[in-house]
This record gives sequence, structure tokens and C-alpha cells, in this order.
Amino acid sequence: MIRGIRHHIRRLHQRTRPVPMSVLFSRFQDILQLNNRILELMADMNDKSGADYVFDIQYIRSACGEMTGLVKQLIDSFNRFANGRYHALWKPFERISDEIESELAGRRNIPDAPLVMPYKEITVAFADMVGGKNANLAELKNQLGLPVPEGFAVTLAAFYKILEENALADRIADIARKWSAGVLPLQTASNQIQVMVLEAKIPGSVRKAIRDAQGRIQKDAGGERLLWSVRSSATGEDGEHSFAGQFLTRLNIRSEEIVSAYQEVLASTYSASAMAYRRQKGIDEAEAAMAVGFQPMVTARKSGVLFTLDAAAPETDAMVLSATWGMGEPIVSGEAQADQYRLERSAPYRVLKTDISLKNRQLMARPEGGSVHEPVDAERQTRACLTDGEIRRIADIGMTIEKYFRSPQDIEWSIDIDGNLFVLQARPLNIRVQLRDMVCDMPAMLKGFPVIFAGKGVIAQSGIISGPVRVVRNDEDLVDFPPGAILVARQSSPKFAAVAGRVNGIITDIGSPTGHMANIAREFRIPTILDTGVATKLLANGREITMDAGENVVYEGIIKALCYYEFSEPGFEESYEYRLLRRMLKKIAPLALTDPNDKQFTPRGCRTYHDITRFIHEKAVEALIESNQTSGLQSPDASMRRLKSEIPIDLSILDIGGGVANGTGKKRVLPADGIGSVPMRAFLEGLELGDLWETHPMPVDFRGFMSSLTRTFSPQLATPRFIGRNLAVISKEYANISLRLGYHFSLIDAYVCERINDNYVYFRFMGGVTEPVRRNRRARLIALILEQNDFKVRLRQDLVVARIKKFDMDRMIRTVRLLGQLVAFTRQLDVRMDSDDQIDCYLKKFTDINNDRETVKTPGEDQNGRSGKNIDFSPGR
Amino acid sequence: MADQEKTSILVLDDEEIVIRRLRPALEKYGYEVETFVHSQNAFDRIMAKNFDIVITDLKMEGMDGMQLLTVIKDRSPHTEVIVITGFATMETAKTSFQKGVFDFLAKPFKLGEIFDTVRRAEEKIKSSQGA
Repeated sequence: MIRGIRHHIRRLHQRTRPVPMSVLFSRFQDILQLNNRILELMADMNDKSGADYVFDIQYIRSACGEMTGLVKQLIDSFNRFANGRYHALWKPFERISDEIESELAGRRNIPDAPLVMPYKEITVAFADMVGGKNANLAELKNQLGLPVPEGFAVTLAAFYKILEENALADRIADIARKWSAGVLPLQTASNQIQVMVLEAKIPGSVRKAIRDAQGRIQKDAGGERLLWSVRSSATGEDGEHSFAGQFLTRLNIRSEEIVSAYQEVLASTYSASAMAYRRQKGIDEAEAAMAVGFQPMVTARKSGVLFTLDAAAPETDAMVLSATWGMGEPIVSGEAQADQYRLERSAPYRVLKTDISLKNRQLMARPEGGSVHEPVDAERQTRACLTDGEIRRIADIGMTIEKYFRSPQDIEWSIDIDGNLFVLQARPLNIRVQLRDMVCDMPAMLKGFPVIFAGKGVIAQSGIISGPVRVVRNDEDLVDFPPGAILVARQSSPKFAAVAGRVNGIITDIGSPTGHMANIAREFRIPTILDTGVATKLLANGREITMDAGENVVYEGIIKALCYYEFSEPGFEESYEYRLLRRMLKKIAPLALTDPNDKQFTPRGCRTYHDITRFIHEKAVEALIESNQTSGLQSPDASMRRLKSEIPIDLSILDIGGGVANGTGKKRVLPADGIGSVPMRAFLEGLELGDLWETHPMPVDFRGFMSSLTRTFSPQLATPRFIGRNLAVISKEYANISLRLGYHFSLIDAYVCERINDNYVYFRFMGGVTEPVRRNRRARLIALILEQNDFKVRLRQDLVVARIKKFDMDRMIRTVRLLGQLVAFTRQLDVRMDSDDQIDCYLKKFTDINNDRETVKTPGEDQNGRSGKNIDFSPGR
Repeated sequence: MADQEKTSILVLDDEEIVIRRLRPALEKYGYEVETFVHSQNAFDRIMAKNFDIVITDLKMEGMDGMQLLTVIKDRSPHTEVIVITGFATMETAKTSFQKGVFDFLAKPFKLGEIFDTVRRAEEKIKSSQGA
């Protein structure tokens, strides 16, 4: 199939052996294929970790083995493709595969984490190292931007270091065994282990790391003496397991006592109740590990607890908020009277009922450490301690947290003497059973809610959620994305990861369940329906909907019962196998490398298999473009042919496989209808829409103008056919087109086939004859047109770089055709663009011309009042 | 057959996780479920009681899958057997146990799939008893 091509490529690295284009391209295709298989397997593993599937440990072993094998092949293929420039990828690969293998072999992995991590550096990916409570608080702070006091986590790495340096692991295991065997009673076993931990020597490196972190926060606080809270953050605590109250929390700790408080909290890992709980849940004692969180105490003027759903009476659909003067501990422990409010669960959180109690005592921190009960002055004893504004703010934060963690929450908060509100704790309320009773007859409950659409598209992540629609058309729409909205977009994008903490659900017109974005949705368990084809047409900004990404239905209105139904789903996360699969997925699926322009977009920045896969995909496309550009065309090649066409374009065609239809022979001149390459045909069709321009008043006749400028060779070149600029490298599904039309340079790199995931178009535009200001105007115009047509666009002076990915074949063909039209349209413009107003003027002109030709105008587009936007430029089908 | 009587199901799998998922799910749908991780215990139980349906893996230690199947069919020919096994061993399972097995399901499977299979097995039991 592939013609013998002797044409060589001048690579960036001249020393390396040149690779024929055909070989390079087939390697590129290998990469695409592997990329797809990896994403599909990742999606499959994510599916299996969902509520629906029954799997066993055999499955985890075989799936992880296959995944590691595929990623290895991918790195291999990529390095062959890129002349070994990316061997640095082996390092993250080996780290990840070692971790996976060692965990599968039953060795608890000691995370390669720093001993201490400030909250601002903690992301979900570090949950394993900092424990559930720290991870949750850091997520509230970093992802949701909620007011959580700055703090730091002493990680599991420190815990394991202490065990190791004191040779504790075996001694603990020994005592645990005796307890299991019934030789030691629980309390004795617990005491013995706790004494061992309390007497252990804390290594100097751990002490220093704690002191340094503490010092930094102290310094940021203006050097004032701080008191600290020191809280347990065991693995799984506040997450899949509640462990409520089984570990120690120390409050109002002076800086000097911080390390001994740390040690006390560590010892509580082995409290009798924690050990009993672990046995009941099937958690081995060797799995027990403790990270600890440190935060400066809030100088609380008032504090309290919010249940986002009344645990005693969930059917009342109300929140319960309690508040008192001073610190909140008396409320948490239930020893003190407090004001109590019942609130509605949606904004503006109307107060349903208020009970103001007599609050004659308050718990206050002492500057020298510890706390003391003080009398409350008479005036405040019977006064409500919260203002309406404070109530609303606490309620709002509560609902944000509930939606994020997909479960009703128990939240501790404080307001300091300056009126600043802080979230101190957030953990799920354990009320599944009550909820299940409430929602027994779902079919009856659903009657009366109109279905907006159903059975469209594919489910990337199941789940049920309500919220207002928010249509996202560009990156800016993501910046102020309102928490709790449902993201509706034309196309899925990995950039949605940035709002993963705020978004209730995702619905797109286009997208693939094996794409990067779908994996993000699964990772964050965001209910997601992709490829509906209709979402942006039917769902306007602000419309309240309930999406059931399980049954694949989108309902009009907020259906509370349906959402409760989701809360009531039984936890399936309580077995070792689910934890293991989830841990494996954390090494495989999270995607940190979302933005190719980011500094972290390097082999070193790869933390997971997904990162590696994404990195390679991006770089492979880039490298292919580069290699085509740098390909030296000095030696005329037999397979290089010249396009014969109605359009006066001087274009050489290099076929690397199936790009030319059979029966065209070996002639040096190739007629346009001899082109078999899907994207190349589309591009030429776009260019050929000459009549389009002729029927509109243009100062210069299009054909004439074009022919005057398409002779691109420079005078000093003797053989214009091989000047090496107007070149298309094509195959059946691929086209890389370099053009110097007029005085600008365009590059189109497109892959168009039946497999949505492989499809992409890359477009670059640069240059012009006029001064920089005008060139920039033209570039801005092009950027606008491309953005209107769903490209991701970067504009730098007169350079436009645009990408689009993962549309179906038909849509891709129309996109490439549009580029043909665009290239023809804009090539002459900078000569005439005298003012910024002309950008809008020409934008309108281009849109209008295409509109006139547009026969299929989709209904609903006008709903958003954006009729000029998102016009389909198809010349009709 | 008395319609009110619950269909009895024995589940045998040496991986606890499978049991933990299947038991509550089947019970929620009104089945009477007994579960085993050791084949010898399941074997003993089968000798003592006729189950309507047996759901079993075949890769267990201590007892040959064929042996177990033979015993079940000998003891209670009306018991329908559903084999659940790993994707890799499915083909072998199918060729070895074609006879006497109601259906095969590759792990991992969806809860919905096992419900469907169990329901079909019930239909078969009902129709054969009605006939």
C-alpha cells in the first residue's frame, strides 16, 4: 500500500538517522492506536470501579498488567517515532509500574512523599499520603476556594519513617496477631502498642520538617504566637470510613508542644475502638497508618455545627445549624446548649425555625495554651449569636461541600473576632439507611417532571444531580463557573478538570467516553453524558434541570427525591478489592497535564499513566508537524506529484499511503479528483468554493487575485515545483498541508477517520506583507472565526495556532473544508485592514457569506440570542 | 410451585468480594441466599439441601469444578447452575462444562446481568415444573 519513498527528512537532530516519511507516519499511527487502547482500558477500569460491577482480584491483576504493557509499548513506539528524544518518560513509567506491582504483590506502598506538605500544595492525588481529613480540607481550600485556615499535613512518609527507625512494624504486627488469636484482650493490645508509639523517638528530620512548616505559617501570620489544632487524618478517615471519634484531636496546642501532640495523635491510631473498627471493616492492622493535620487555631467568637440534611428527619428536607459563643467543642460533644436553626436546602436558605437558647458559658482559648470556660456577659446570653448574613453564608458553604462530596455533610465552623468565617471540619453524615426508606417508590415520584431529552449520547459517569445549566463556550466561561451548575458544552475538553470541584454534572454535544475528559469525570465522579448532539441547543444558561446519568435522562426542574436516591445508594467501597482498584486507578487515571502550554508539561511532570499518554499524544502530533516542516525537499522524488486543479495553486503532493486514488497512474501531474485523502479533499473543496467569493462584491476578483499571488517561488529558485513550501503530505486519513498563499504562511495538519478519538485538526497561520498592526488585525479576525467554529485558539501577535479534536468524521470534514475557505478568504485581507472595526466587519462578512450558503440551520441556536455564533459553515449536505 | 416461596440460591466463590456484592443485591430482590467461600462447605451444604439455583466459580481450591457440578446434578437434577468465572478462563470453562450448565458469565459482570440470568433460570424452573 505504501509507496516506496526515498525521500528523507532533515531532522532537527542531524546526527540521527533520517527516517522515511512513510515509516514515521506508520509509527505515528501506532501511537494513536495505543493511545486509544489505553484510554479505553482506563475507561473500562473506571467503569468496573463503579457501583454496577462485580469484580475480583484476578480482574485487577490482569487489567493492571495489560495497562502497564500498553503504556510501555506506547513509550517505546513514541521513542522510535521521535528518535529517542523522550527516554525521560521511562522514569515516571518505572516509578508508577513499580508502585502498581508492589501493591499487587500485597506490599503496602510507602508513598514517596515529603514528610510534610502545606495545604496549598495538596491535591486529590496526594490523598493517600496526607490522609482523608487533610486531603478533604485542602480540597475545600484549593479546589472550592472555601475559607479553611492555612495548615500543613505531616504525611504517611513521616509515619512510616517513625515506624522504621524505631523498628515498630513487626512489634505492632506481633501484638495484633496475639489479639487476633485471642491471647491478648483488645484493651491490653491497644495499650501496649500505644505506649510503644508514645515512647518512640521522633527522627530529627521529621521534627525539623514540622518546625519549618510551623515557622512558615507563623511568619505569614506576622510572627504572632499561634496556638495549634493537631488532628488525626488516617487513611480513609472521613472518606470511605467514618472512624468518627476514634482518634485523638488536640486543640490549643502551644508551638513548643506541637511535636509531642503529634506523637499523641499518632498513638491514637491504635486506640481500642479504632482497632475494633478496623477488624469489623476487614482492614488489616498493617494497613493502618496515620497522617496528621496542623492548623493555627481560629480565635473563635462564635462556632457551631451544620448538618446539611437533618440526620434525625431527612424527609423534612431541611438543614440544621447550631451555634454558640466561643469555641464549638461543647456543641460537638453535646454538652452545651446552643442556638438552633432549621433552614431550607436551597438558596436563599430561608430560616424555617429558630430556637435561641440561654448561653451562659463559652469555651475560650487561653493564650498560654488549652482552653477555659468563661461566663458570657448578660446581654449576649439570650441573644441569637448569628446574623442572617452569617446563616446564609454558612448554609451556602455547606451545600457547596455536600455537592462536591455527593453526600450530606456534618460541618464544623467558626467565626473569628473580625467576623471571618472558617470551615474547620467536613465529614459525611451517615444517614444512608434513612434516605433509602424515603425514596422507595421512584417511578411514582418521577411523574410530573417533563423529560427534556433521553437516551441521547453515552454515559461517561453515572450519577444523579440537579442544578442550573451553565453553557461553557470558551476558557473564560470556566473562570467564574458557579459552584453547583451543570456544565453544558459543545465539545468535551480536559480543561474542564479545572472546575471539577465546582461542577455538578457535565453534558456535551460531542465527545467520546474514552476521551481524556471522560476519565476526569469518572475520577471526580461527576455525572457526565457525552455526545448527546443536542445539549447546547436544548439547554440554555440558567435553566434548572435534573440529570440522571444512569438511566440517561435529562428532566426539567430540580427533583430532590432523585438526588436523595443517589445518596442512599449503598457504599460498595468497603472491601479491600475496591480500595485496591481505586488505589491502582489513582496511579493510572488522574490527569495533571491538561495544558500543553504549562511549564509542567514535561516527562518529569507525568505522575500517572494518563499523564504519560496525554503527553505523548500531544508531542507526537507536534513532532509530526515539525518533521513535515523541516523535511528538506532538495531531492526531487518520484512520488512527489503536482496538483492539477481549477484553483491556480502551485501544490506538490506527497502520498505516503492511500492518499491518491487508484488509477491515477504515476504521472507527475495529479488531477484534483485523483485525491483519495479525506482531509485533503475537504481542504481543496473549501479552497475551490471560489464561486462563493465571486458572487459577493470583492474589490478584486478572487480568481485573479489568487492567481497573482499563488506563484510562490522566489526568483532565485530554478525549479519552482520544489520550492518546498506549498506541499501536502497525505495518506487516506491524513493531510499535512504547508502553504504560502499570498504572503502568509498556513499549516494544516489533519487526521480524519471513523474513530472519533483519533481525529484532530491543527491549524497555524502566520505572516503577511503589511506592518505588524494590520497583520495582528488579520490574526485576530482568523482567531475569532476559528473560535466560533469550536477551535481552541492561541493568538500571539500575528501567529494563530488553533486545534480541534474528537469530532466525528463528518464534522471533521466540514471543519477542514472551512479551513480551505478561511485560507482563501483571509489571504488578501491584511492589505485592507485599516482599523480594528474592520475585524468585526469582516467577521460578519465571512459569517454572512457562509450563512447564505448554509442550508441546514439548526433549530434552537437562536435560543441563546447567539444566532451569529456557532454557525455551521458547511456548504450543505 | 407455590409462587410465594422464595427462590433459593447458593453462591460459591473463593473471593470474598464477589460474595459481598452478590448477597445483599440478590436479597434485595427477594431471593433466599446462602454464600460460601470454601468449596468443601458448599459441597456439604448441597448434600443437605436442594437449591433452585447455584451460582459458582470453577477455579476453586480443594474441589474439581466438574466434580461439584456432577454432585449437584446427581443430587438435584432440577437445580440450575450459573458459572461465573474470569474472562481468561471462560473458554476453557465453556468447553469443559457445556453439559448441565444453565449459563456462563464472565467476571467482571454487571449486577443487572446476573439478575437477568437468574430470572431466566427461574423461568426455566417454573416452566419445567408447570409442564
